[in-house]
Amino acid sequence: MEENVMVKVEHLYKNFGNETQVLKDVNLTVNKNEVIAILGPSGTGKSTLLRCLNYLTVPTKGIINIGGKKVDAAKHSKKDVVDLRKHSSMVFQGYNLFKNKTALENVMEALITVQNKPKEEARKIAMNYVAKVGMEDRKDYYPSKLSGGQQQRIAIARAMAVNPNVILFDEPTSALDPELVGEVLSTIKDLAKEGTTMILVTHEIGFAREVATRVLFMDDGKIVADGTPEEIIDNPEDERLQQFLNVITK
Amino acid sequence: MEEVQFFKVEYFLEVLPKIISKVNVTLELTIAATLFSLILGIFIAVVAYYKIPVIYQITRAYISVMRGTPIVSQLYFFYYGIALYSAVVRNMTPLVAVCVVMSLNEGAFMSESIRAALMSVDEGQKEAAYSLGMTNFQLVRRIIIPQAIRIALPPLFNDIINLTKMTSLAFMLGVPDIMGAAKIEGARTFRYFEIYAAVMFSYWLIIFVLGLIHKYLEKKCAEAY
Ligand SMILES: Nc1ncnc2c1ncn2[C@@H]1O[C@H](COP(=O)(O)OP(=O)(O)O)[C@@H](O)[C@H]1O
Ligand SMILES: [Mg+2]
Repeated sequence: MEENVMVKVEHLYKNFGNETQVLKDVNLTVNKNEVIAILGPSGTGKSTLLRCLNYLTVPTKGIINIGGKKVDAAKHSKKDVVDLRKHSSMVFQGYNLFKNKTALENVMEALITVQNKPKEEARKIAMNYVAKVGMEDRKDYYPSKLSGGQQQRIAIARAMAVNPNVILFDEPTSALDPELVGEVLSTIKDLAKEGTTMILVTHEIGFAREVATRVLFMDDGKIVADGTPEEIIDNPEDERLQQFLNVITK
Repeated sequence: MEEVQFFKVEYFLEVLPKIISKVNVTLELTIAATLFSLILGIFIAVVAYYKIPVIYQITRAYISVMRGTPIVSQLYFFYYGIALYSAVVRNMTPLVAVCVVMSLNEGAFMSESIRAALMSVDEGQKEAAYSLGMTNFQLVRRIIIPQAIRIALPPLFNDIINLTKMTSLAFMLGVPDIMGAAKIEGARTFRYFEIYAAVMFSYWLIIFVLGLIHKYLEKKCAEAY
């Protein structure tokens, strides 16, 4: 794989049961420093695509390659899956912080368990990222004592701290109260400015136009449009994409 | 004519130490049964958590029987019924037999408390752990068990309180516990009123102390995070 290719998806299929085909031959290459925004109506397989990338959902068919770790759905071991996951991290809609750990401990956890770093070193690294998302003063709080926006910022710090090849965001602001969306978006924007490679499923069209280097439009289990924000959002050619943008920007 | 006293305080105070001196039997039985039922409860809960085929169905049936029949009938079935066909049971001392039946019974209840606690850790946290590359074992040890213990402790303590009361069954097989001492004393003086008042007082005292610990744990667990 080329040096600066971070993610490569080849002929990815996902069926649930015999009837439901959710992903139908998805192909995608993501280069280093790219910020990919994925748009699309709900139920078209955006979450499924992200979850196949780290095998939270096991693909039916296809090859995933992240940071040089290649896993073929046809023949993969448990170890392959764990190794693949070490190359990415994920920010969820519902934050999913570990409830029995403080904000700082959440960020430290994978550094200790997955990367086998000594506790002190893990703490130092984690502190750096906690500061980056502006949460130093709340670092010793448990998730239950943090607002949704604060929890999501810690979740972002947790995802960054493992130094992944790509960070996957699945609608990171959808569960937030409107007044808390801004702080999370600006945290993600800072990441994008630093050149972090990310794939971001979002309904925030304005935000996508601002931070994304490339926008994908998914419909019915396929990527039907792929281009710059100007091409996709400002001058959409695909008819379904035009419809979608009309509905969502109303 | 001698005046018949309704409640003889001196006699109550005389018999109370005799009764309380048997508290150790109750406590030993409670502690041993707690230990065994915990082990059994954890085993059944893990089977249920991973829905291990065949064993899971067996444990469900087992729990259904344990919860659906009185403990006294279980004790008699075991000690008199199974003993007919099993030399192991025949050779058991009454104390051991009671301990076994209590553990089998309470293990079924504890497994439900433990299972509920394991289930209480939401899918999202597990996915977060996996997405970072944590193994299943790391997830269980560092995320699930610490959270499950906090949830399981208060109900488990209730189960332990139940066990304490259940120990009075031992007397039915002739184990000289609190109830046994009371019977001997009753045969001598016929002052059942004071004697069983002392018995109840002794149990109440043990359970009162356990109840304090229970409250403390509940408070600690609630404020942890
Ligand atoms: N675990 C599952 N079992 C069955 N169907 C599923 C499962 N997960 C998702 N789906 C189905 O797959 C389709 C795509 O879902 P999803 O990827 O969540 O879409 P999106 O994120 O674009 O809204 C939906 O029709 C959904 O019902
Ligand atoms: Mg989704």
